Formats: sequence, C-alpha cells, structure tokens
Amino acid sequence: MQLQVAADWVEAPLKAFVDEARAEVAVLMHPSGQVLGQFGFVRSVDVVTACALAAAIHASSGELGRLVEGKPFAGMHYAGPTKQIFLAPVEIADGTLLLLTVFDEESSLGLVQLFFKEFAARVAKVAPEFKSAEAALAVDFEGELNKNLALMFGRG
Amino acid sequence: MSLVNYATREITCKIVYYGPGRSGKTTNLHYIYGQVPGDRKGQMVSLATQTDRTLFFDFLPIDLGTISGFSTRFQLYTVPGQIYYATTRKLVLQGADGVVFVADSQSRQLQENIESFQDLHSNLAEHGVDARAVPLVIQYNKQDLPADMVMGVSDLDEQLNFRGVPSFGADALHGPGVFETLRAISELVLRRLSSGGNR
Repeated sequence: MQLQVAADWVEAPLKAFVDEARAEVAVLMHPSGQVLGQFGFVRSVDVVTACALAAAIHASSGELGRLVEGKPFAGMHYAGPTKQIFLAPVEIADGTLLLLTVFDEESSLGLVQLFFKEFAARVAKVAPEFKSAEAALAVDFEGELNKNLALMFGRG
Repeated sequence: MSLVNYATREITCKIVYYGPGRSGKTTNLHYIYGQVPGDRKGQMVSLATQTDRTLFFDFLPIDLGTISGFSTRFQLYTVPGQIYYATTRKLVLQGADGVVFVADSQSRQLQENIESFQDLHSNLAEHGVDARAVPLVIQYNKQDLPADMVMGVSDLDEQLNFRGVPSFGADALHGPGVFETLRAISELVLRRLSSGGNR
C-alpha cells in the first residue's frame, strides 16, 4: 500500500495515524469530497467515490444532528461483518476537514478514536490556510480541453 | 473548491448538475458514462429510490486527461430535483466549482424551472457564494419532444437566462447537447483556474 497525498502537510499525520491506529484505509478530505491525502486504496477512482459518499454521510448526519440535537454529530461509526468505518471532522483554522478510516479486527473503535484525537491535533497544527490557486493553467488551454473531450466522446 | 496540486500536477473540480425534478440531470450523467472509455471514468454511483428517482445524488468521476501539463479530473454530481429534497440539494452544492442548470423545455414545466433556478441562487447564497461569480451553463433538455409541447431555446433564454450564460438545447437521452454542455462548463471552470480565480 502506498501513501498518496495531494497536499504535502497531510503525509506525516496520516502516516502516523495509520501506523498507530492499525487502520486499513484512511482518507483526509475536504467536506466537498475533494481528496487531500489517502492511504490504502489501490485505485484512485475508488478514493474519489469513497470521498463523495463519505462527504455525503457527513453532510447528512450533520443536518440530522442539528435537527435532533441542535448541533452536528461529532463523528460516525459503522460496523460491518469484517470491517468498520469511522468518519469524523477535523477542525483546522480555515474550517473543517474529514477523516474517513476503515479498520478490521486488527484494530478497534477505541484505538481509532484515541489516535484520531492525536491526528486531529497534528493536522490542526500543520494545515495551511486554503488560498486561491495561482493561475494554474495556460491561458490558451481550450485547444487541449477540446481535443481531450472530443477523444473521450469518440469525436476525435 | 478546485483542488490544485502543483507537486503532482493534478487538478480536481466539482461540477453539479442542478434543476427541477425529471428535467434530465441523471440522464446527462448516464449518457456521459456511456460515452467515456472505461479507463477515463470511475464507477457511477447513484443514491436513488426504488423507482430510480435521485434520492441524494448521482456521482461520476471522469478523467479529462492532461491540460496545460495538469492531469485534470472532474467529479460530476447531480442533485435530487424534487422540492422536498431542499436540504440535500444544498449539501451537494457545497464546494461546487461549476453548475449546469438542466431545465425541462416543456412549456408546462416553466414555473418549475424558474423556481428551481431561484432555489439554486438561494442555496449558493446560503453557502456564501456570489451566484454571479460561479461558472454556470444552462441546458434546455427534451428539445426532441413535439414542438407544440416545448419552448424554444430563445424563449427559454428570455425566461431564465438573465445572466446571459452559455445555453444549449439538448436531448440528453440520445446525446445531442450533452457534450456541448459539458465542454462549455469545463471551459468556464478551467478558465477560472487559468486566471487564478479559484475559490
């Protein structure tokens, strides 16, 4: 398994969390579903799908928490026959991120929650302020875009 | 919020297909899914009711390939159109980099289109987003229906497109207009990145 990070500052806290909590899979994401870093998924398309679903669970459970308790739930735990997931918000200076982790009998909910607290503290320390991207693409990107889309749709 | 990783040269953007119930949002994604080669798309996830109405969202990740040296991926979402799923629509809209508004061209659906368009602006405002700044494309779907049932693109533009954004007639079930819509929203979203206007 490889650690894949979209943001450098994610790498050390995520690696430490996976090792210490004996997690199988861990993904740090933006609440909109964008992946910031992951460990354990083999295919990148599986990561984005998992993040979309996890972001949806978090958003809907947050609303449900507000409805029944006046505030969002702090975290969610689901137990399957062999695997369990834990999903919880990580507060940073610039808002909230989400950690989704999958674990099996090698770990436990208690262990995951224990090291999640440390993970959240580490991330809060190192997370930079999100800022507007600098001009990332060339001004004349349209040619490549049109060519790629046409190829995708069999029009190339 | 587009995610730009300068180290790995990757860009990820979120596009939301918005519109009233049964206007053809999911149909757009199904058509795209059917057209895009297997190595350029992920699994299409549909959180739907037993009658295939969108309950939470549909989700389709696609890989646009390399643009200006960046590996570019789009995550396409739909929202549930029915009025009673207002909260869900707002949640899915969070963090959208661009919106495709899919209107139903049938004359009798005009009011639903207008209300859904207002709902879009209201939800963007609740997310603290200036609707005028969000890349938006309007698609007038079901243009293949008999002429006496549907409004023309220019008439619909007059009713809905007060911002003068790119608009397209479409028949999402069979494909016409789907590609053009996706191309237009992709260009608008990426143009923001080329000018550093992300977020």
